[in-house]
Amino acid sequence: MAEEVLRLEGIRKSYNVGTPVESEVLHGIDLVLQVGEFCALMGPSGCGKTTLLNVMGLLDRPSAGKLFIKGAETSGLGDRGLTALRGHSIGFVFQYHHLLPAFTAVENVMMPMLVDRGRPDAAMRRRANELLESMALTPWRDNLAINMSGGQQQRVAVARALAMDPSLLLADEPTGNLDTKAAQGVFDMMREVNRRHGTTVLVVTHNHALAAQCGRIVELVDGRIVSDRHLPAAAQAAVEHTEETSQRR
Amino acid sequence: MHNWLPFEWIAASRFLREGRMQSISIILGVSIGVGVIIFMSAALAGQQANIIRRVLSAQAHIVLLPPQEIARPLRENDVAEAAIVQRPFQRVRSMDQWQKIIKEVGEMRVVTAVSPMASGPVLAVRGEATRAVSVLGVDPALYFRVIPLPDKIVAGAARLTSEDIVIGIDLASDLGVTVGDKLRITVASGQGATLTISGIVDLGSKGANQRNTYVALHTAQALLGLIGGVSSIDVTVPDIYAAEDIAQAIAAATGVEADSWIKTNAQLYLAISAQVIANSTIRFCVGLAIAFGIAAVLIVSVVQKSKEIGILRAMGASQGQILRVFLLEGAVLGLAGSVFGSALGAGAILAWQTLLKNPDGTPLFPLEMDPRLFIASAVLATLTGLASAVAPALRGARLDPVVAIRG
Repeated sequence: MAEEVLRLEGIRKSYNVGTPVESEVLHGIDLVLQVGEFCALMGPSGCGKTTLLNVMGLLDRPSAGKLFIKGAETSGLGDRGLTALRGHSIGFVFQYHHLLPAFTAVENVMMPMLVDRGRPDAAMRRRANELLESMALTPWRDNLAINMSGGQQQRVAVARALAMDPSLLLADEPTGNLDTKAAQGVFDMMREVNRRHGTTVLVVTHNHALAAQCGRIVELVDGRIVSDRHLPAAAQAAVEHTEETSQRR
Repeated sequence: MHNWLPFEWIAASRFLREGRMQSISIILGVSIGVGVIIFMSAALAGQQANIIRRVLSAQAHIVLLPPQEIARPLRENDVAEAAIVQRPFQRVRSMDQWQKIIKEVGEMRVVTAVSPMASGPVLAVRGEATRAVSVLGVDPALYFRVIPLPDKIVAGAARLTSEDIVIGIDLASDLGVTVGDKLRITVASGQGATLTISGIVDLGSKGANQRNTYVALHTAQALLGLIGGVSSIDVTVPDIYAAEDIAQAIAAATGVEADSWIKTNAQLYLAISAQVIANSTIRFCVGLAIAFGIAAVLIVSVVQKSKEIGILRAMGASQGQILRVFLLEGAVLGLAGSVFGSALGAGAILAWQTLLKNPDGTPLFPLEMDPRLFIASAVLATLTGLASAVAPALRGARLDPVVAIRG
C-alpha cells in the first residue's frame, strides 16, 4: 500500500468568523495524496484553490477538520512546530516566482537551507548549484532575480522549493504568467523531480493541456471537490507526445 | 554570502543594501544627531571645566571655619529675660583643636588634601600707595596640594620663608612692585612686618589677583596675633560635585563650620546645573528624534518587505528569526550613524578649536574631547536603534505569511 504524504479530513475554512460577513470558503474537503503522485488541482477563479493550498502548506490553519502530514496530525502544533514542519516537509512555488530580489539565484536556492541551519556552508552551496544545474540554470546562478527572464525565475523558484528535499511540492499556478514554451519547461522540471525523486507534487493550474499530463486531476468548485480523476499512464504519455510534437512545429 | 555570517546578518545587510537610499538617509540623520550631541556635550564639559577651573583656581573645595560666635540672652530659672540680643562681630580667632581636626579630616577616604591657614585683613603699603588685602598664611608643603600656586607663578618663585610674600599680579601692578621689592604689611592694631616679594601669581581672577597675598603660616600667625592657631582649614576632594555632601559630613563629624565651593558660589552652581539640565533635555530630544527616524524607516521597510517576509516564513523562517533581522537592521543603522556622527562631532570640535580663537591665540574656550563620550554615544545610538526597531520588528515577525505573500 502506498504511503500517504498528505491527508485532509473534513477541512473547512471560514473568514471573518463571528462577524456579519462571515463566509466559508472550503466546505469539508477530504483528500489524500500518496507518495510520488503528480496531481493537478483545477477549478474556476475564487473556488478556494489557493486557500486550500495555503491550508495544505501549513501557511493557514483550517477552521475545522484535520490535516495530517506523513501521518502526523498538525492541529496541535504551535507556530514554531508548524514552521519547522513546513520548512522540512513542504516546498512552495508561487504564481509570481517571489524570489528575494536582493539575492542571486544560487543564494535564493540556498535560502531555505540557510533559514534551517542558521549559517551558510559548502554543502548548502553544492546542493544549490546541483539544483540549478538540474534546472539548466548554471550560467545564471550569480544573477540577481531581476536580471532573469520569467521562465528562468520560475525555475529558480522550483529549485528553491526543492532545496530541503521536501516530501510535498505545492505549486500555485506556477505557469500562470509564462508563455506556453516557458510554462511547459517549468512543468517538465517539476515532473522530472516527481519521477526521479518521488516527490509528491500538487499543482494548481487553469491549463487543461498541462493538467492532462498529470496522473491525477482534482476539480474544486465553490469550495467542494466535485471530481477526482486518476489518469491512466497511457493517456498521459499520449498527451506528452502531442505536446512535444506541437512544440517542434 | 560569507560562511561565518548567520542568516539574520545576511538578510539584514541585504535588506539595508537593497533600500540603499533609505539607509543612507537615516544614517545621515543619526550621524547629525550624534554629532550634535557629541559637540554639545564637549562644549558644555569644556565650558564647565573652564568656569570651575577659574572659580577654584584660588579657592579650596571646602573651607573649615570655627563656629560663629553668638551672644546668648541671660536666662534665670529657664526663663529668658526680655532683651534685644545684638549679634557680636566675628573677630579673627583660632580654631579649637585644629590639629586634631586636620588629622581627622585628612584620614577621610573622600579627602585628598588638607591644609591649615591663618588669614585676615591687612594693609599692603608701598610708599604712598596702600591697598586693603587679605594675608593668607599657609604651610607651602600642604597648601600647594590644595591650590597649585607654583603653577600660577608669572614672576619669581612660590617660595614662602618667614621673610617672603607672594602677591597677585594686579596688586603688584597697583603698587608698582616686582619680585625682590619690599612690601610693608600692617594689621589694624598697627603691628606689621616688612616682607620681600618672592613671587607674583596670576590666579585667573582680577579680584583674587588684587586681594590675595601669601605668606608663611607662622608669619601670618605672628601678624594676626594667632600664635599657634589657624583661622581656617582648606580641604581638597577628588569629586568636586560631591563637595557639599562631604562638607556636611565633615561638619557633622567635627562640629566646625564647613563651607563648600558649591555653597559659596550658589548662583554659579545653579547656572551650571541649569545648563546641564538644558543640555540633557536637548540630548534626550535629539535621541528621541533619532529613535523615531529609525523606527519610521523600519516600519516602511517592513511594509515594503512584507512579501519577502511572507516568503521567508513559507520557507520555514521562524518569527524569532524575522524579529532578529529587523532588530539587527535597527542596531546597524544606530551604530553606523553613531560612527559617522562621532567623526562629525570630532571634526566639529577640532574645527572649533582651530578656527575660533581668542586674540592671544588660545581657543575661545577649550572643548573637552572625552573618548568615553564617543563610546557612550556609540552604545546609546546602537541601543536606540535596537529599541526603536522593536515595534517594526514585532510587526514584521507577526505578519501572517498568507497575507504577506498576497501583499
